[in-house]
Amino acid sequence: MTKHISANNEPSPPSPRREKALPKTPTCISGLDDVLHGGLPAKRTTLVSGGPGTGKSIMGIEFLYHSAANGEPGIFIAFEETAEAVRQNALTLGWDLVPLEKAGKLFLFGAHVDPQAALSGDFNVKGLLAIIEGKARSMGASRIVIDAVDVLMRLFADPARERSELYTLHDWLNDHEMTAVLTAKSPAGGDNTSRYEFLDYMADCVIHFDQRIVEQVPTRRIRVIKYRGSSYVSNECPFVITEKGIHLIPTSQVDLQHKALGSKVSSGHPLLDAVLDGGYRRASSILISGTSGTGKTTLANTFAADACKRGEKVLFIGFEESQEAMVASMLSPGIDLSPALQDGKLRIMTALPEARGAEEHLFNALQTIEAFQPDHVIVDAISSCKRMGTQQAAYEYVMRLANACKEKGITIILTNQTEGFQEEHEISGVGISSIIDAVILLRYIEVGGEMNRMLLVMKARGQKHSNQYREFLITDHGIDIADLYVGEGGVLTGVARQEQEAKEAIETRRRQLEIKHKEHDIKQKRAEMEAEIARRQAGLEAAETELKSLKLEESLAEGGRDRRGDMRVKDTNSARLKTGTQKSKRTGAGRKEGAK
Amino acid sequence: MKQSKRQTNAEGLQVRSETYILRLFVAGEEPNSREAKENLKRLCETYLKDGCRSEIVDVLADFQSALENNVLITPTLILVSPPPKVMIFGNLSDTRKVLAALRLTGGE
Repeated sequence: MTKHISANNEPSPPSPRREKALPKTPTCISGLDDVLHGGLPAKRTTLVSGGPGTGKSIMGIEFLYHSAANGEPGIFIAFEETAEAVRQNALTLGWDLVPLEKAGKLFLFGAHVDPQAALSGDFNVKGLLAIIEGKARSMGASRIVIDAVDVLMRLFADPARERSELYTLHDWLNDHEMTAVLTAKSPAGGDNTSRYEFLDYMADCVIHFDQRIVEQVPTRRIRVIKYRGSSYVSNECPFVITEKGIHLIPTSQVDLQHKALGSKVSSGHPLLDAVLDGGYRRASSILISGTSGTGKTTLANTFAADACKRGEKVLFIGFEESQEAMVASMLSPGIDLSPALQDGKLRIMTALPEARGAEEHLFNALQTIEAFQPDHVIVDAISSCKRMGTQQAAYEYVMRLANACKEKGITIILTNQTEGFQEEHEISGVGISSIIDAVILLRYIEVGGEMNRMLLVMKARGQKHSNQYREFLITDHGIDIADLYVGEGGVLTGVARQEQEAKEAIETRRRQLEIKHKEHDIKQKRAEMEAEIARRQAGLEAAETELKSLKLEESLAEGGRDRRGDMRVKDTNSARLKTGTQKSKRTGAGRKEGAK
Repeated sequence: MKQSKRQTNAEGLQVRSETYILRLFVAGEEPNSREAKENLKRLCETYLKDGCRSEIVDVLADFQSALENNVLITPTLILVSPPPKVMIFGNLSDTRKVLAALRLTGGE
């Protein structure tokens, strides 16, 4: 049917005409009008089907209650309850129908079909129509809910007759331009191939209600099956029934309309701010992950107390302990939350995860956020959310809550208790890592028979965070972060760290001494060497001087010989001319003489 | 059911003279309503003679009566008196069922 309509509409220019052709009647039920893209089809019939206890009647009465409160009269025909029962049920949901009835804005009719009645021959529903028409006219009502129409139809005990009477009813409602809601039971399994299947074809809008028990926790879902001539959210939408009626949480809201990460906001401790490059980012989601007792709640509350002191509002959603227990336990690390609570800057809401379904938890959280308008939200701990039912329920709870916070620009801090001792890298217990902007890991390490806490910023979008382990201390005056020690033995903490630091200091001093000693040694050696060089140089110089004087002596000696030789040459001049080789003769003579 | 039938049968003979007050709700002149009116008239004449006072209510003209008597189905015949009150849906074409419902059948 829907296909047919949309195929018809496609070629023609779309929206203005379609909107004109399809006036809608808002239900004013939280979230339902979003799913229906405006409301129920005005002056047409909507079928609400679903198993017993799924909330069909509540939807019907809530629609009429809001209508009547807005001055729009309506008629409620109940086939399974008396008017008084309807009144009382409505009262438990916070709706007092009596004033509206007295004002002529609401008419409740407990249409009791006498089960003892005898059947004789053919009949029809004209009586009902006469009542509706008469009442509608006198009240000026154009909105009607016929609750459990299947009870009336069962009288006919013949599918063909049922069908023709339902068509009569449907046509009559259309002819009288009634905005009608018919509710009918369908098998609990959500199987729509019931005997009233044709109702789905007849109605212009079909909404299916469903309730499933998933691991002991009932979860309610709503799904729009068809809506003639209108778009709608076709996904299954979880909903809750609270003391204020039906509330849908459309899953389509889980799209990315997040605000950009905001300015830095102090984590509550200057050293942690330094590690985080200035603090957390506003409107971001921060996961604090660690095993039991590593200080997740303390770290989160350090932030909360500090934020409240600055005048910002913090909502603490606790699943682990009662408000009293939590406030008291925070006193031991020196965090006093009571001033913030008294100022109304801090609000704590606690609940057992098992107490309600995930949808209801989520709804309560969103309602409180809406009413309280916090700057920051803390959820302690998302690992407990698994107890709301399934992993999937926990995932949806955390995902939607984090998304809602991001959309509103609220910082959300999620603590997560990891299991096992060294499994801390399993950071996203419910698979939400993609929406987490920053991850702080807390862990215990054992060094020298001592347990110490460590902190690591594992991820921080848009921040130049330190990626080194720090020692995370919980003192009587709050948390403290010790600068990390990176030494020969890896990362050390606590007493072992102190010991190691002392050891290291001694070692350093020893090394420095050794260096000095060596330096001195070298100086001395150099001096020795230089002295040796000087000594040797002196020796060399002495030798050279000696050599010089020897040479001088020699030259003097030679000069004397020559003179003596000259004198000898004068005597033997004739003989020197005869021999030819003057020199050798002369030398020979000189030698002879020298030798003499 | 059986027990109550026997009781009323036993009573029936004694109270036969007591007046039956019957109210028939119809929806104008549509076929089932017209047929029901005719059937009721014949029933009264045949089985109740003088001891019958019947009243016809047209729900189209008087929806308030339909409302007060919780009449959703037309035609509906209500045995107002003697108590207990009985409702019969339909055009009353099945005489045996009507007589049984009105406790007018002998102990078959």
